[in-house]
Amino acid sequence: MRTKKLNWRLAPLFTKMKNKSQIQIGETIAVLFVFFILVGISFIFYAKVIKSNLETDREELSQMRSIGIAQGVMFLPELQCSEDNVIRENCIDLLKLQSAKEVMSSNIIHYYDLLDFTEINITQIYPEKTKWELYSRRIQDYNNRYLTNVPVSLYDPIAKTYSFGILSIETFDR
Amino acid sequence: MCWLADWINNKRVFIMKNKKGFEIQFNWIFVLVAGALILLFFITIVVKQRNLSETSTKSTIFASVGAIIAGAGVSTGTTTIIDLPGSNIEVDCGRVSIGEIAKQYQNLILFAPKSIQGKKLITQTVEFNTPYKSTNLLFMTSTQMRYILIGDSDLAIEINNSLPSDLNKEFYKNIPVTISDENNYKVKFVFFRNIDNSILNKFAKMQDDDVTAVRVTGDIKKGELEFYKKNSLIWKSNGISPYFTKSALLGAIYSDSNDLYQCNMANVFSRLNIISNVYLKRTTALKNDVTRIRNECKSIYTNALNHLQSINSASSVLNEPNVEVIASASQSLSDENKKAQLASCPLIY
Repeated sequence: MRTKKLNWRLAPLFTKMKNKSQIQIGETIAVLFVFFILVGISFIFYAKVIKSNLETDREELSQMRSIGIAQGVMFLPELQCSEDNVIRENCIDLLKLQSAKEVMSSNIIHYYDLLDFTEINITQIYPEKTKWELYSRRIQDYNNRYLTNVPVSLYDPIAKTYSFGILSIETFDR
Repeated sequence: MCWLADWINNKRVFIMKNKKGFEIQFNWIFVLVAGALILLFFITIVVKQRNLSETSTKSTIFASVGAIIAGAGVSTGTTTIIDLPGSNIEVDCGRVSIGEIAKQYQNLILFAPKSIQGKKLITQTVEFNTPYKSTNLLFMTSTQMRYILIGDSDLAIEINNSLPSDLNKEFYKNIPVTISDENNYKVKFVFFRNIDNSILNKFAKMQDDDVTAVRVTGDIKKGELEFYKKNSLIWKSNGISPYFTKSALLGAIYSDSNDLYQCNMANVFSRLNIISNVYLKRTTALKNDVTRIRNECKSIYTNALNHLQSINSASSVLNEPNVEVIASASQSLSDENKKAQLASCPLIY
């Protein structure tokens, strides 16, 4: 039955074929042709699934990288409050911040390895609004941009007072 | 050659003596060619898929290692054991690679043997304080690497206690007599006494590159390290380096060559230089605050600035005189910080 159906569909191909063997070979070629078309379609589908998975993985990696950089910034000894080497978490020393800004701009290569394409800003939002641009290395034609905002205490070691601020870490991904 | 042509002709006549014979012959050839093509096609796919899968596994491991390196800056004083699919992580100066996947780092601080093999990875992070924290040191090794510590000094006991208990380590007060090769892929000896060649007889079958040693002379604060490599049945010196702080000494134990240790220490010193600059500027700002800082505090900051300047200048190159300067300035700075604390002045670090 199957052969008959196939013969009917591929009939024009076989009209010029004179004997049974020629028709049999023609049939085999046709089966192989259909088989390879099916294999091709499956491959296109498989490639699309793989591509979509790769995109997801890539985005996940970019997010991980962004979180890694944000974590790294929060724990930079250049910024962290410390008293006799006892670290206070989520706290930025305002005197260190001023100094770190200058040091970072004079050691661009060192900080590029640590922070990559990132923009780091610290904004004091209480009692007064003040902004410090700590590090800026943007890319114009980025694909993804991730922004991490971390609430931090800003410590003035001379006055021994705390203010409230936000540490913004914006990472760019090509 | 005529006999061959005749034979082929006879055969052909024999097989293809009628039309039916020719059809069967042609069908078989056709099936063979088509079958071979299909088989080749699928073999190619399987091979490509296998390579892809291997690369995917390697990149997963690589991502884990990258996360460990990134996380090292965050957590200190921690030891972690990570299960990994059997792999070979290669560590070089500022470079980590797994197979063909590699990443170059500008300032990587990773004390590890050149090759980390096995299914369990041990990582340890410690702070590098001089006396203020300048960076975290990351140590990485495998549970399949064997560490043999020999010595009876307080330093030897202290270092043995500081190494993670999950590490494949052994501690002997004297040169062990009953020691034997346990088929580890690498063995590292740490001598807190004179080096001994006789121990190498037990490890004669191992490759020269896989048996290394370090001899430690000094105390917990500073001293000298001499790196060795097995050369048949004797130890061959690989270079001498100074160490400063217990963290750096631990780093030397994890590194299997003087080059790797020096490369990491150069990056540690580069970090120390930058952090010292931050503290120099911060202390200058404290000293220059005319309205809020008392004169008593200002004299402390003036002294501290001198020590910070010394650390900053000496952190340019790793050598013994610079290590001496840093050790002395570090102690003095620590004293000044205590004075600042007693006088209720803002602390230096």
